[in-house]
Amino acid sequence: MEIFSSLGDGFVIALTWQNLVLAILGCFLGTIMGALPGLGPSNGVAILIPLAFTLGLGPTPSMILLTSVYYGAMYGGRISSILLNIPGDEPAMMTCLDGYPMAQQGRAGEALSLSGVASFVGAFFATWGLIFLAPQLVKFALLFGPAEYFALFALAFATLGGVSSTNQAKSAFAAMLGLGLAVVGVDTQTGVPRLTFGEVHLYDGLDFLVAIVGLFALSEVFIFLEHRHGAADAEGKKIVIGRLTPSFSVLKACTPTMLRSSLLGFVAGVLPGAGASLGSFISYSMEKRLVDRKGTFGKGDPRGVAAPEAGNNAAAGGALVPMLALGVPGSGTTAVLLAVLLSLNITPGPLLFQNNPDVVWGLIAALFIANFILLAMNIPMVGLFTRVLMVPPRILMPVVAMVSFVGIYGISGSSFDLLVMIAFGVMGWVLRKLDVPLVPVILGTLLGNTMENNLRRAVTISNGDYGTLIDSPLSIGLWTVAIVGFVLPIFVGRVVKARMHARRDTEGSLSD
Amino acid sequence: MSDRIFGAVGLLLALFYAWATLQIEESFMSDAVGPKTFPLGIAAILGLSSIVIFLKPDDEPQWPPLARLAEIAAAVVVMILYAEFLPIAGFVIATAFAAAYLTWRLGSSPLQSVIIGVGTSLGIYVIFHLVLGLSLARGPLGF
Amino acid sequence: MAFNFIRTAVALAGLGLAATPALAESHGGFMPQNPECIAPANPGGGWDFTCRQVGKSLQDQGLIDSTMQVVNLAGGGGGVAFAEVVNKRGDENDLIVAASSATATRLAQGAFPGNSMDQVRWLASIGADYGVIAVAADSEVQTLPELLDQIKADPTSVSVAGGSAVGGWDHLKVLIAADAYGIDDVRSVKYIAFDGGGEAVTQLLAGSVQAFTGDISEAKGFVDSGDIRVIAVLAPERLPGDFADLPTAREQGVDAVGANWRGFYGPAGMSDEAYNGWVEKIATLYASDEWKEIMANNGLAPLDLQGAEFEAFVANSVKQIQDISREIGIIK
Repeated sequence: MEIFSSLGDGFVIALTWQNLVLAILGCFLGTIMGALPGLGPSNGVAILIPLAFTLGLGPTPSMILLTSVYYGAMYGGRISSILLNIPGDEPAMMTCLDGYPMAQQGRAGEALSLSGVASFVGAFFATWGLIFLAPQLVKFALLFGPAEYFALFALAFATLGGVSSTNQAKSAFAAMLGLGLAVVGVDTQTGVPRLTFGEVHLYDGLDFLVAIVGLFALSEVFIFLEHRHGAADAEGKKIVIGRLTPSFSVLKACTPTMLRSSLLGFVAGVLPGAGASLGSFISYSMEKRLVDRKGTFGKGDPRGVAAPEAGNNAAAGGALVPMLALGVPGSGTTAVLLAVLLSLNITPGPLLFQNNPDVVWGLIAALFIANFILLAMNIPMVGLFTRVLMVPPRILMPVVAMVSFVGIYGISGSSFDLLVMIAFGVMGWVLRKLDVPLVPVILGTLLGNTMENNLRRAVTISNGDYGTLIDSPLSIGLWTVAIVGFVLPIFVGRVVKARMHARRDTEGSLSD
Repeated sequence: MSDRIFGAVGLLLALFYAWATLQIEESFMSDAVGPKTFPLGIAAILGLSSIVIFLKPDDEPQWPPLARLAEIAAAVVVMILYAEFLPIAGFVIATAFAAAYLTWRLGSSPLQSVIIGVGTSLGIYVIFHLVLGLSLARGPLGF
Repeated sequence: MAFNFIRTAVALAGLGLAATPALAESHGGFMPQNPECIAPANPGGGWDFTCRQVGKSLQDQGLIDSTMQVVNLAGGGGGVAFAEVVNKRGDENDLIVAASSATATRLAQGAFPGNSMDQVRWLASIGADYGVIAVAADSEVQTLPELLDQIKADPTSVSVAGGSAVGGWDHLKVLIAADAYGIDDVRSVKYIAFDGGGEAVTQLLAGSVQAFTGDISEAKGFVDSGDIRVIAVLAPERLPGDFADLPTAREQGVDAVGANWRGFYGPAGMSDEAYNGWVEKIATLYASDEWKEIMANNGLAPLDLQGAEFEAFVANSVKQIQDISREIGIIK
């Protein structure tokens, strides 16, 4: 087959000593940056662009280095989610929900290696998807006009309720808080400032990284301060790491989850503007609907770790489809990668596969190589990562706080952002005390602008007729899923809630 | 009780948000939806969910005693001072102080705290500035 | 806010500290330590291209030592970046910002609240990018007059997508063409703002909109692949090279010209030495053969203006846009 010979050529290009070293370097640096709160894949790639240029690398080696960083960061984000309950980057947000409870139950090593395997599966299938389905997927992405995007985002918000809280009102509150914060800044449609109260720093809106680091990392620090009752207590409980690899039965139980999530995540990644966060979110919420019969999701279910990790890594691969084939970035990171290609005199777009096959196939081969390197690097390092848990919180938490500050300051160079982050930290602490889920707040800040702009575009195209929002079969389908997803938990919710309360009481007496 | 206060505050927040939205000045040309519709919708749902929270409160959360709240407030003040003094004092010094303070408040002895604070600061400086090449705040001493 | 006082103190302290090394370095040619270019839009658009391409070429030719750091600061049609430079980074010597007709448009219409063109220093131009109006390859519309006739008959039937906000340069280009064709109420032309030209073209391919207005460099990839059809280039005469096949608006009887010049400005507090240094670097770059090739590849037409000359050109262009906007009825 032609594809395989092209892929073979790609491997010939990618498998030189220089490129392998670059891939290993990229994977390693990417994993670190992914794991550090505040530095996500897009910043990670952006930070390393100067390195690629300083080394004087050509297009293919540059892309190999930078995509390795990209994949590495997608892998790395889960580490701090599982160990610290602080997502290393935004797509890893969902991994906190079950990863951290697993770590608390002494299954940190298992969660880490399982999520590593899930990441591998997601990325592996996404790369094959990129090879075989890119042209067809572009056509699929083109079915999404503004109205369909709006329906897709509505779907994400409608299914929020059941995911992270049993109180729908509090989930809705959190989502609206996030959306409300996203509105702040200069309106892209008309150029008028909104809710900025004359503060110039707010003109370009609130950075969601500032929000995520504040809400998760700083509030975690506050929780620790709150619970310190004396020096002895802060030394921490006895930490159990547990086994380092998942048992065969766990892997087997998670396999269908990983496959389904890879597919969902990949599709979400292909849609420009949806991206990896939506991929991991939808994977998690769908999986919860499908297989969570005993209400174990959110309590340390291995499938709740496998789903978002397979989903977000598949989405990372999927996001390369519109970038390469259309020249339209589907996420922050691919936007940066696109910019790199442009500055290397390569124009991504419909003709890229014909005009620069060496770059495309070299890149795809590099993705496979990076993926294997990451798996090989991550599984043996699980033991090392879990050492983090051995560090007593009185030392670990200040480090986490300071790393968060540096991550934000190093990128924006603005004290104002740090103050906003502290405000988010306090808000996160209060919301946690009140049992308001934080995930919807982040989802709101992440997707708010795109959601609103697509609503406005759709309605403007149809001359002010809101009926356009349910005009195509695709949008009707999306809305149907959204409504079912919203209504169902309200009826089922009570039952689950009662059950979860009972469960919490018994568990509480064990762990406290 | 907490949830009732929370609901009431949420409702006030929604009203404030709606008021602030109405203050947005529209420009000379606008799209069919306009810059106000979406935020007004947000305010409406925010208000509705606040009312529901007010009417159907969850179980009371466990609030920390006053001393612990003061502890958190003090940490917030230190963080704010850190943010403000970072560009003046430079990264290494400001970070050492802030990290030492937090370490101390989390239960280390003062001497330990100073050592850990300085260590944290230098460690981060090496990783972020020297390895990753991020530009961190440069103080009077050049770091 | 209580911290404003502290922040002012911080800023003053920063100024004092920054001044000393700057003086010490004043001998010898200007060389930015950490050259930074702000692209006031998301990656993939025209401003971003300007920053990246110029940054890379400057480094390739040894005009700067270290890699140009490109910062994307999107929002408000460039207003966010403009305000940032005026208010927060007014005294930096290593900073340049990509600008274009779109910047001049917003300045002309007073769309950067409280900002005007003399709050920054205009450095130099690097070429001009002519506007295009395009339709999808499978559209029935073959010529510009056909499209404008459709708009004339029923303005609600044609949605035009572009990468700038409402009232921005991409929007104005259609309005100029519509005005030239004798459409009375050009405000009725339906324009949809997207986040950059790339997204706008995608929606044209998706069939959500019927026409695209943007720059030729944004459309190039899709023209080559045959996915979209350029029905008019808003240039005085046909462009050279690859683009010679594309008809101009003028030859179709619509007297509309829209050149999107591209260039840079820097902070007002930039030292004269840094200003002259940047002007000279960009001028050297412009004169190089490498740049000529890049211009040819990307549909950039020549526009060779530096320093005071460029400043005068921008002032003139702001005035011109003000006149057009007034004529069209966008501003009073």
